[in-house]
This record gives sequence, C-alpha cells and structure tokens, in this order.
Amino acid sequence: MRPTDEASIIERCQKGDKEAFALIVKKYMKPAYYVALSYVGREDDALDLSQDAFVNAFRHLKRFDSTRSFFPWFYSILKNLCMNHLVRVRRHKEDSLDQMEEECGQVPIAIAAADPEAAMVSQDLREKVGAALARLKAKDREILILQHLQDLSYREIADLLGIPIGTVMSRLYAARHALRRELERMGVSN
Amino acid sequence: MSHDTYKDLMMGYLDGELTELEAQRVEQHLEGCAECREELESFRKLKEMTQPMRLAMPDDAYWERYWSSVYNRLERRAGWILLSIGLIAVTSYYVYQLAARLVLNPGVATPVRFGVAALIIGLCTLFVSVLRERIVLLRSDKYKRIRR
Repeated sequence: MRPTDEASIIERCQKGDKEAFALIVKKYMKPAYYVALSYVGREDDALDLSQDAFVNAFRHLKRFDSTRSFFPWFYSILKNLCMNHLVRVRRHKEDSLDQMEEECGQVPIAIAAADPEAAMVSQDLREKVGAALARLKAKDREILILQHLQDLSYREIADLLGIPIGTVMSRLYAARHALRRELERMGVSN
Repeated sequence: MSHDTYKDLMMGYLDGELTELEAQRVEQHLEGCAECREELESFRKLKEMTQPMRLAMPDDAYWERYWSSVYNRLERRAGWILLSIGLIAVTSYYVYQLAARLVLNPGVATPVRFGVAALIIGLCTLFVSVLRERIVLLRSDKYKRIRR
C-alpha cells in the first residue's frame, strides 16, 4: 500500500467506511501486536490491546490528518492503552509513567525458531533471550523486537514509530547494549 | 563527527543499512579505534545469536479472525452507546415524572420537597459538568502527550 493509497483509504475510513478500515487493520495488525507485546509481555493481552487500539483509532479518526502516516498516530493510542493496562494489572498507581515504562517487562517474551533449521538453537538459549528482553526498558525491548526478531529495515522501523533513522540507530545501540548486559548477567556470553 | 555518533552509525554498519560513503567513514574510524572494534565484534556475536530467533506469533487462524474481532468490538461499542442513550432517556423521563409529583404536590412535607428539588438540581449539575468535560476531551487529542 503506497502512502497516497493509504491517505485515500484513511479518508474513506473518516467517512465511516468500515471496509476501508479493514485494509488498514490488516496492514498494521502484526506491527501493532509486536508493539503491544513489547509493553505487556503476554500474548493474549497484546492481541486484546492491539484490537482495542484499532477500535479507539476508528472512533477518533476524524481528528487525524490523513496526509500523515497512520501508524505513528496509532502507536500513541496503543501505547496509551498498554500503559493503562499495566497500571490496572499491577496496581502501582503511585508509579509515574516513566517508572512503568522501565519496569513493565516482567513476563518473558516468547521466542520461536525462525525456521526448522534454526530450531537447532537450544530452547534454553531462546528462553534466556526472552527473559533478558523482558527485563529491559519497554523502549529498548520494542526496538529489539522490531529489528532483531522481526527483521524490519531501519526505514520500516522509522516509519512505524515516526522517528528519524538516526534515532533508530541510537535507540538500537542503547538497546543492544542493555540486552548484552542482561545476557551476561544470566551467564550467556557472546 | 563525535565518538558517540560513530557508535550509533556502527549499528547501521552492522545491519548493512548505511550508504557506501557512511560505511567507509565507519571503517576509517574502526581502523583507529580499538574500543569500537571490540564493541562491534560483540554486537555482531549478539546479532548472530538472535538471528535464528523470531517472536512467537499467534497461529494463522487468529490473524484471519483478527479483523472480524475488531469489527465486532466496533459494533458492540455502537450497541452500548445506543443502549446507554435509551436508558438515560427512559430513566430521566420517569425520574422527572416522579419528582414533579413530589415537588409540586402540596400534600408532601416541605423538607421532602426541598430535598427532592436539591437532588434533581445536583444531578443535573453533575451531568452538565461531566458532559462539558467530555466535550472538551473530545475536541482535544488526548494522545498528543504520549511520547514516542
């Protein structure tokens, strides 16, 4: 879907066209899931929250500038829902959003083998990487999930998150640094 | 270019995301910087370690049902809004009828009539206040304060 196509589809959605919105949902459902998972850790919660975010987005779409990219705007809605979910679940209402973002990864991220050949990688190592990811800040976990575990290009990540490519690189540097430190703490040396 | 900038660019170099010119600059920097060479090597090993790993995804059947699930939620929300409007209208009508009978009936004790009138005025004030707040929220983008 080219940006101009997306803009015209968004305009149809703004007029209440649900079939057009289905195209947007199908395009972004997986990235939405990855982002939600990077915040909440649990697969079922990530699916649930990503769907709720699409519902909220559709309701507020009239205020969205259709000449801009959809996902960065949608990302704000999704992130807001994820933070509210974490506040509800953990009942740490006195925590600030910054603290929540730093501490939210408590559930190990489920990691699978990329292909049958890669299944040779030990389950133990996959679990350790999943647990190490869960201990990172949500911001670090998010960029690692998109780049390492979903193999998106920098351009794709920049477009999804609405950040410059330079920021993708600096966030990736900080995130890889943090992941390496966590793995070392767990006895995994690379 | 600062040392920190090269550290960021090193990520692009590792992932093959730099232009030829940028890659050459990084290589020149690496030749003279042992710290960055060492760091690049450890990041390369980290990348190799996670290369055969992917995020565990829900099965395909779930993705096929994903849109219909979103659609159902959209419909359900519209249903709840209509139900709420209906309930508010019907309840308001009966509360008004009951209150009018009590307030306007001279047979009812004066304190009770004043109490009911105060109750109704209080409820109306609260309703208008909440409604005003909701309208202000609807006009502003509540997601703009969220940082990326």
